[in-house]
Amino acid sequence: MKKRKTVGGWTPLSVLGLCLVILFAVVCAAPFLYMFLMSFTQSKTPALRLADIDFTDFSNYIQVFTRNGFFRATLNSCVVVIGSCVLNCVISSMAAYGFEKKNFPGKEALFQIYLLTLMIPGQVTMIPVFIMMDQMHLLNTYTSLIITIVNAFGVFLIRQFMKGVPDELLESAQIDGCPEYRIFIQIVIPLIKPVLVSLVIFTFVNSWNSFLWPLIATTSSEMYTLTVSLSLLKLLDVSNFGLIMAGASISFLVPFVLYLFLQRQFVEGIALSGIKG
Amino acid sequence: MKRKRLEAVEGILYVLPSLLLILLFSVIPIFASTYFGFTKYNIMRPAEFLGLENYRRLLKDSYVAAAFKNTAVYVCLTVPVQTGMALAFAAFLAEKRAKLKMGGFLRSVMFIPVIASGVSAAAVWRVILNADGGMLNELLKVFHLPAVNWLGSRFTALLSVCLVAVWKNVGYFLVIYYAGIMGISREIYESARVDGASALQRFWRITLPMLRPVTYLVVTLGIIWSFQVFDISYMMTGGGPGRSTVTLVMAIYNAAFKEGRMGYACAVAMVLFVVILVINMVENVFFKEKGENGK
Repeated sequence: MKKRKTVGGWTPLSVLGLCLVILFAVVCAAPFLYMFLMSFTQSKTPALRLADIDFTDFSNYIQVFTRNGFFRATLNSCVVVIGSCVLNCVISSMAAYGFEKKNFPGKEALFQIYLLTLMIPGQVTMIPVFIMMDQMHLLNTYTSLIITIVNAFGVFLIRQFMKGVPDELLESAQIDGCPEYRIFIQIVIPLIKPVLVSLVIFTFVNSWNSFLWPLIATTSSEMYTLTVSLSLLKLLDVSNFGLIMAGASISFLVPFVLYLFLQRQFVEGIALSGIKG
Repeated sequence: MKRKRLEAVEGILYVLPSLLLILLFSVIPIFASTYFGFTKYNIMRPAEFLGLENYRRLLKDSYVAAAFKNTAVYVCLTVPVQTGMALAFAAFLAEKRAKLKMGGFLRSVMFIPVIASGVSAAAVWRVILNADGGMLNELLKVFHLPAVNWLGSRFTALLSVCLVAVWKNVGYFLVIYYAGIMGISREIYESARVDGASALQRFWRITLPMLRPVTYLVVTLGIIWSFQVFDISYMMTGGGPGRSTVTLVMAIYNAAFKEGRMGYACAVAMVLFVVILVINMVENVFFKEKGENGK
């Protein structure tokens, strides 16, 4: 065992480690700070000068909302996100309840197929889905943007959690003559609230940030979501960097503010997506 | 008997809505994609069966070859770097969590890029990496380093896309690694400490081996996500300069929705699907092996 000079348990190596960690944290935050500050300038160059920042000047935001269709896009994104969260929670918790607490022939085999579908990436199925939506005249509708968010992941996630709901509780409710739908809504749903919060956050972030599908499924500017509108901004006005940064800020701010308030649930909800296996 | 049947009907009714949606938007489309891959098809005309023609063409298509090569380079650069950084940072923060009051704050900050959309992150980085007065070149100037045309030259454009992806992903995998380290029994560390193992030794001999299942997960997820890269390169470079940052998904998107060659695009998509399927299977084999040995 070598003896090192340490100050309060900090070796030179761990000080280096600390510096690297702090440096990376700064690199993580700096672009967003830059984005935010830049959105309050009228700078014609990408360099940020502190003298250019004017926090009373909202003209970039006003322009992006009124002239670049961000008002409508924000509204669209909100509708799609809320719709996705509600639909995914309702449908996934129903299915999870059916799989976990009911018996029907072929149940486990079907669930295995559900798990297999998790391996299918959306980019591989988007062309047939697009064709299908086109034939059902659903392109450029909220339906096409919302309905595609449902997948087997939510079912899997809630089923895992529902294993903790005691069968005896449901049986005694049944014996007391409680109708089936009330057992589900009044007993099961309140018990699985924590996992529903995670699923809502997961769905929220995925839906708010999704880009490729809205890019394909919306062709009229009325139906663009925020990410699509933001992607078009770079083509419109290359020299107005403040404007682009205002657009990026709007798209970033909604999940960020939620993250500030619900940090723990956010990290859990998003980290869940990796723990499928 | 009657009750059992009622229960079965109820169960099926509960599952039915999700089953319909999954059939409609996952199962049927994957078969449809497979079929369209053998046809010449666009939305105007009915599909015309070509057999393996699309795949033959695909092998000779230099655009798809470039997309495949770029995606492979992107995977090979991004995955090891993001995995290594996430592991190192997680291990460091876990080791020092008693002494470092701001550890939780640092983790929270590193998670911010994860919640931002690829599109807004790329929009910001595109401006930061701007060759002409972008902040990164301004920073280089301070250190008397020459300005780099980050997004304008072939090599650095792909490198920039990789760096932004790493920047965006590290926080996510850090959270997974950190949870994994927290799951390792404290007693093992304590007894190692009593035996005089240094922090580095504890990392190599305890943390790293115990985290093997987590590492499989992080690497597989990293590879699968990386093969699906689209948003960042679409926003930062649009595939250019030349074909230097065209990705597989971008090739699919362009073939299907810019050129209207949907059958051909499906064939390219099937290549992507097979790659992802193989990675998934390799992971499953590893995990099974691990489970049997471990218990």
